[in-house]
This record gives sequence, structure tokens and C-alpha cells, in this order.
Amino acid sequence: MMDTKKSEVLQGTLDLMILKTLHALGPLHGFGIARRIEQVSRDVLQLNEGTVYTSLLRLQQQGWIAAAWGTSEHNRKAKFYSITKRGEKQLQVEAENWERIADVISRVLKLEAERES
Amino acid sequence: MSTRRESRLRAFAAKVRGFLCGRRRDGEFDDEMQEHLQLLAEKFAAQGMSREDATAAARRQFGNTTLLQEDRRGLQTFSSVEALWRDLRFGLRTLRKNPGFTAIAVLTLALGIGANTTIFSWIHSVLLNSLPGAGQPERVVELESLATSGEWVPTSYLDFRDFRDHLKLVESMSVAQPMALAVGNDVGVERVWSETVSGNFFDVLRVKPEIGRFFSGVERDDAQNAHAVAVISHSFWHSHYNESASAIGAILRVNRTPYTVIGVAPNGFHGSMAGLSFDLWVPATMYGQLTSTGTWMLKDRKNRMFRVLARLAPGATVEQARSELASVAGFMAKADADTNQGMSATLLPVWKAHYGIQGSLLAPLTILFGASGVVLLIVCANIANLLLVRSADRRKEFSIRVALGASPMRLVRQLSTEVLMLATLGSVAGLLIAGWLGGSLRWLLPLTEAPQLQSGAQGGSVLVFTAGLAVAVAALAGIGSALHATRNNVSETLKESGRSGTSGTQSNRLRSLLVTSEVALAVTALIGAGLFVKSFYRVKSIQPGFEPNQVAIAKFNLSAANVDAQQADAFCRQLRERLERQPGVTAVTYADYVPLSLGEGSWEDLQVEGYVPGPSENMKIYRNLVAPGYFELMKIPLIEGRDFTMQDDSSHPPVMIVTTEFVRRFIPHGGVLNRRVFGWGQWFTIVGVVQDSKIHRLTENTRPYFYVPIRQIYRPEMGLAFYLRTLGSVSEAMQSIRRESQGLDAMVPATGVMPLNEWIAGSLFGQRIAASLLSVLAAIAFVLASIGLYGMVAYTVAQRTQEFGIRLSLGAQPREVLGLIVKQGLRFALAGTAVGVALAVLLGRVLGSFLVNMSATDPLIFTGAAVFVILLALVAAAIPARKAMRVDPIVALRYE
Repeated sequence: MMDTKKSEVLQGTLDLMILKTLHALGPLHGFGIARRIEQVSRDVLQLNEGTVYTSLLRLQQQGWIAAAWGTSEHNRKAKFYSITKRGEKQLQVEAENWERIADVISRVLKLEAERES
Repeated sequence: MSTRRESRLRAFAAKVRGFLCGRRRDGEFDDEMQEHLQLLAEKFAAQGMSREDATAAARRQFGNTTLLQEDRRGLQTFSSVEALWRDLRFGLRTLRKNPGFTAIAVLTLALGIGANTTIFSWIHSVLLNSLPGAGQPERVVELESLATSGEWVPTSYLDFRDFRDHLKLVESMSVAQPMALAVGNDVGVERVWSETVSGNFFDVLRVKPEIGRFFSGVERDDAQNAHAVAVISHSFWHSHYNESASAIGAILRVNRTPYTVIGVAPNGFHGSMAGLSFDLWVPATMYGQLTSTGTWMLKDRKNRMFRVLARLAPGATVEQARSELASVAGFMAKADADTNQGMSATLLPVWKAHYGIQGSLLAPLTILFGASGVVLLIVCANIANLLLVRSADRRKEFSIRVALGASPMRLVRQLSTEVLMLATLGSVAGLLIAGWLGGSLRWLLPLTEAPQLQSGAQGGSVLVFTAGLAVAVAALAGIGSALHATRNNVSETLKESGRSGTSGTQSNRLRSLLVTSEVALAVTALIGAGLFVKSFYRVKSIQPGFEPNQVAIAKFNLSAANVDAQQADAFCRQLRERLERQPGVTAVTYADYVPLSLGEGSWEDLQVEGYVPGPSENMKIYRNLVAPGYFELMKIPLIEGRDFTMQDDSSHPPVMIVTTEFVRRFIPHGGVLNRRVFGWGQWFTIVGVVQDSKIHRLTENTRPYFYVPIRQIYRPEMGLAFYLRTLGSVSEAMQSIRRESQGLDAMVPATGVMPLNEWIAGSLFGQRIAASLLSVLAAIAFVLASIGLYGMVAYTVAQRTQEFGIRLSLGAQPREVLGLIVKQGLRFALAGTAVGVALAVLLGRVLGSFLVNMSATDPLIFTGAAVFVILLALVAAAIPARKAMRVDPIVALRYE
């Protein structure tokens, strides 16, 4: 069906999550990244796992992560992704950016709440 | 943070890499996703799901792999280029898989586009690009003098000089008069079509010489018969001098006088008359020498014989120049009242000018262009219909593609690509047809003597026109099916998957509309063609007032042979004697004019003794110069008095024969014979009265006309035509004219030898083109509409096979089923006919003026066309209906 996109994560945030995951856990393959995000988000975020791969591609194109073929824990051939130096820098920038925005948004939301009470 | 531009740049670089090695990445990406899916399924299975549930759950959680692939491609390659390439390949495959559909569509398109391109190339060479090779041709206009009656007339050389010297809003001005010249030596001459022009002719047209120079210095002055120099065309240079530079300075014998070649016109320049090519240009000041008439012809303000071209001064508009010209002409009308009283002059765009072929082709070409447009519309409707049927058949394909994640725009793009491919194939075929018909413009011209036609232009603008046509056709024909495809409801279609069912009502309605308008257009085309055909036969049945059968005519150009009046007279008498001795020949005569020539003939300003003309009455009366025996040969009854005799020559008193209409208008109270008429500066005595006959065209109203003995007035620069009536075959008579004239004087070749009735048919050429070409176009329209109607009904029958099966098994009579279908076909036909008739009535208002002796709402034609179309609709519906009638219920119900 067409409308499964409803669970799509906020534009850009998936990139950030993946960068952070790779930064925290070191080289991982796509499946591993998906599991880690699922684990962290519990059931709050519903992720269309396929989008992880397009996101990985985007990050790769920007040179923030690198990919290399390796062997997975199940002894199968898999592509492992790792964060690059440029990626680390980008992660820092984006994380700060995100916190700033999140801060603003939560303050705005609080404002709303005050008026209502 | 990297800047935005930098990040875009990196994405672009990645795309270039991806574009170069797309396929491998497709596979890699797919492997990765498959691996992920498998791991996910294993995970779910480990949680206790069944294998199948686990796989399904994995797919759900993962998302649409095809869409992801598309996204990835979007990231990694230039999707539009790749998609276009894929669409093209897919389109080609679909077209190849349906050879029947493709063939019909391409053929139909080729017909429509071929017809339009051909007619456009005619229009282009005659009307749009009327001065090929000239610089800034849009600033060149034609100057026409206007007679008292408001009719256009050529301009006299003295008037031309006054206009040239006094107009400030005209930069330069030149006469340009077509003329056949005899080029060659005593051994043989060839007729070369030439223009006699002013010295600045090539400045007016902004043409630069290929080699040598154009007229310059003293060659540009008005001194007569002083500058025997000539410019030759590129093709003449090629055929006579092998493109050698030594052509400059070569001596060319023109009308028995040596001329020096001074320059060669560039390739692609054919002179100043639309559609015609000329090979030689000589100064107009040589006119007297070329025609052995001395110098009077350029010194007589009444001798109006030149066509005039003018280039507007920079910044001046046609309107400004026209009003300046009108005031100068008004001044001249007073200053030269004896010759110019009441006369004026105007400027016209070259394509609107009266001199030349564009004047007579403008109306027929416009009508034809309109008709071919109608055919093209029908073609569009037909293609649109075919596409709709096909897209109904392909609904399942589209639905599956949408279900797999294709966006509606993607489908529209695919369909547009296919339609454009069809249109392109059709255009290529159409261009082939048009190229093949390129030189066919000559079919449109009457069988008169004329310079060679330029070959049909297949230049850039024709190609651009065709390409534009292809896009327009694709858009018109494709829009319906494209919209239809986007409105497709996926789940509905897939649910129906087992049945072929009826296609959506919406598409059916659109198709009914298309078929109805096709029928309407076909009816309109049919009525239009019918009207013109009937009008043509009406004109043909008009009696000319003389008997054209069993008569051969031949024209001679004595001025080209450079003979004087006495030699011309001797030539005529000797040729007559020789021809009279031929077996089967019953009569021979000659005159300076052949009736029903499209040219307007010559007139003379007359005073009739005892008749006082009204204040603005036009006393310029048309005339013919004839030899004795003319009326007898033409079987024009002599009502009273006598025919001319050989004694009526320049040494005897001038005499005249007038027509009954002449008598009715000018001498209504009797006493016609021996009455005197003044013309050519002398008094003529009327010696006879003959019956009226048609002079210029069959459709004209009867006008006063008169005849004068050719031996009393003739000058070699006038025309000369021999008439020969025979008991035997006319073609034999034509042979003997050619043979005898050749034997008499090799320097005077007979031209335009033909049966007189063919000559008359030539005078009907406008009507003939309209009638015959419109019939062809109407037939095409009609066939296309029938195919459309047939296709529509046949398709409905195919869709409703099951329904008919049920009806038949429930006891319906086959006859009733037949009725059902035929009724449907008839509904389209009736609706279409009604609309078509209404359109034809509207059209009739526009076309009425082209029809002769009949109304534009001729009931017979209208009823005929309507009945014809309805009958054909019945046949087109009956063929598939019979199939429906014979449906075996059992088979039909199992059919699904």
C-alpha cells in the first residue's frame, strides 16, 4: 500500500540518529543500525527500516560515513558502515543544532500550556 | 558544518559516478536489502511467528523495496534522463508488440501530417517566403497603380519615374517585368525567362552578386537602349558556363542583340516573383531594343506595363508610405490629367500583390489549409480513440504499476513518450509523403506559359512546422488517455482482474465524444467538397459562346525573334498558307489573344460616336486583334455586317467589329454599321456585329468587347496565337503547327501548343484545384471517421460479449441484439451529422463567395452528405453487430 510513509521519521533526523549510532557503537551493518534505533526508541518511533539504506547512501555521498564489505556475526557477507572524521564534526554540529531547536520548540510548547492553564 | 553548496556538489558528483555504473549498484543495494529482510524474518521467526507470517511482517516493517530502489536511483543518478531512456525502450517494445495498432496509428498520422506539411510547403514557397534570397524581404512591398474603377493596373514607366523621384518614405524602387527572351545564335535559340529591371533592382532586394557585379553607374540611368548588359542566375551560370569565372564578360545573344554578362546572382535567388524562377536580368531601359519598338513604350504615360517593387525607408511603415504614395499619385492625377485622371496607387505586401501566381493561389491555398486542418483534427480524434481503447486494455498493467509504487506522473510520462514516438514516426512518414509531393505545386497551376517553378521548399521552416505539428498532435491525441490513466482506481481494477468487464463510463463518454466529433468533421468536409465539386461542374457547363472542340492553338513570341511589324505580318501570312495545306484542316486564323486566358488581356480607351459617357464611366474596353476567318473558325455568329478581309490592312481605313453587348450599351438606338469609334488615335468604322462570348473567365458577366483587324494595329511585342480547326485529330494538328513553324523560321519557336478545350480547362484551375483536392481531403476525412466509428462499435461489442451471451441465453432474439448495436452506432452518426451540418452552414457563410451559380446551403449536397454518412455509419456498425448476433451464449459466458 502507498501510505506506509506515515511513520517516516522527521526529515533529517534519521541521518542524525544513524550518525550518532555509528559514533557510539563503531562500525555496524544496516540491520544492526535498525536494531539499535528500534531498541533505543522502543515503540515510540515506528521506522520504515528500508529508509535506513537511503539515509546511509545520503550520508555516504556527503562523505560523513564510509562503507566496507566485511563478515557479520552470522558469518555472512555484509556491508559495514563507520563514521568518518568529517562525519564526527558534522555530528557535533547537527547535535547542537538539534538541541537548540528542541529547546526552542519545548519552550514554545510550554508557552502554549501556560495560557491554557 | 559543510556549506549547502558544497553538499550539493558532492551529491552531484555522486550522481555522475552512479550514472556511469548504475547497474552494478542496483544489484548491490538489492542484496543489502534482501539480506536485511532475511535477518528480520529470522528475528520474527525466533520470536515464535510462522515462517510466512515472519516474512510478511519483515516486509511490512521494511517498506516498499521498489520505491526505495527508485529513491536510491534518484540520489545516485540523473533520474529523468534514465527514465526517458527506459520509457523510450519500453515504448518501442510496446509499439513493436502491437504491430497492427502501430501501423494504423502511424499511417493515419502520416496521412494527416503529410497533407498538412505539403500544403504548408506550398504556402511557404508562394506566400510566406515569396522573395527567397532577398535580404530583409519583409521591407519590400509591391506598388500597384489603381484605375478609376479601383481595379489594379500595371504602372507606366513615366509614372514609375515620378514615384521613384518623389517618394521619401521609400528607400529604393525598381520595375520588374517578367519577359521571355530568346537567347542563342543563328543555329538555335532557347527561351529564357527573364526580368527587365531597373538598375537598382538588386539593391531593392538586397542581393549581393556571386561573382562579377550588378548594374552600376550609367547603367542605372534612364537613357534608353544604351546598356546591353545582363546578369545571369546561378543555375544558368552552372548550365551554360560550368560555373567558370570566365562567364563575366562573355557575350550572350539576347533577341539577336549581343549583351555582355556582368554578374551572376547568388545561389538561391530566383528573381522577384513568388514561386517562379528567372534566369536572366536585363535593364528595363533596353525594353525598346528587346521588342524592336524604339523608345515610345517607356515614354508613353498611358502605356502601363510594369510591375514595381519598393523597399521602405528605414523606420517607415507601410501605412505611412501608402499615404505618401496616395498623395503623390493624387498630384500626378491632376498634373497629368490627360492620362492619369482619377487614378491612384497603393502599396501591398508582396504576398498580397495581384501580379503573379500568389494572387490566384491565395484563396485556394487558404481553403486547402483549412481543410487539411480538419483532416488533422480527425486524425487526432482517431489516434486519441485508439489510445483510449488501448489504455482501457492496459488498465491492469497500469494498476499493477501503481500498486508497485509508480506515481501517476510516471504513467503520464510513459504514455506521453509513447504518443510522441507515434507522432514522430508519423511525421517522418508524413515528411516523406510531402517530399514526394514537393514539386506538385505545378499541378495547381493552369496550363499556360510560365517560368519554371521553384522546387518545393523543404527547408528549415517546413521541418519546424512539421515538428510543431507532431507535438501538437501528440498533445491533443494523448491527453485523454493520459488523464484516464491517472484516474485509474487501483483496487477497483485489480478486484475486477478476473473479468474484462466494461471500461469506465468516463472513458466511454470521452470516446463517444471523440467519435461524434469525427463524424461531424467528416460531414463538414464532405459537404464542403460537395459544394466545390458542384460549383466546378456549374462553371464547366457555362457555354463560352464559341466552339472549342477540334481546335488546336499555338502561341508565338515574335518579339523574342526581334522582327518588325512587316516581318511579323509576312510570317503570319506564310504560316497560315502552310497550315491550310495540311490534311484535315478546315480553317486557320490568328489573333493576339486567346479567350479565357487568366491574364486580363488588353483594352483601349474608346469614344463612340453619339455616345456621351457618364462622369466616371470606364471607357477602357477590352479587345482582340484578329485575322480574317476568326469568327467562322470559332463559330461565333456574325449577326450583321461583314467579317474582316485581307484588304483590311494598314493601307486601308481602320475598321472594327463589335459585340451585341457593345451595341446594347453604346449604340442602343440602331444605326450600328458605319458608326465611327475613336481609339489608338484614329477613327474606326464599325463593319460588323458578332454574338457575345466569354473573354477572361467563364464566370464573368457579359461585358462590351470589340475586334480590330490584326493587320491594322499589330505590333510584334503583342501576343500572337494561331488557331487551327481540323476534322482529324487535334494532336496531329498540334504536330503540324510545330513542324510548319519550325520549317518557316527556326527563330520563332511555337510555345504553348495545346487543344483549345484544354486551354479553357486551364482557366478553371482555381475551381478545379478546390474541387479535386477538397474531394481527396474529404475522402480521407470520411475514411478516417468510418474507421473511428467502426472501431468504437467493434470495441463495445467486444466488451459486451458476455452481456449479449446472457441476453441471448435468456431468450433475446439475435435481431434484437443487432438492433441494440446498430442503434448505438446510429446515435453517434446522427449526433455527428447534426453538428457537422451546423458547422457546414457556418462555413458556407465564409465560402459562399467562392461558389458559382449556387447557394452555400445547397439542399441536395447537404442531404446527400448526411444520408451518405448515416448509411456508412450503419455499415460500420453492422459489421461488428453481426458478430454480436452470432455470439454463442455458452462460449460467451465461458469467455472470461
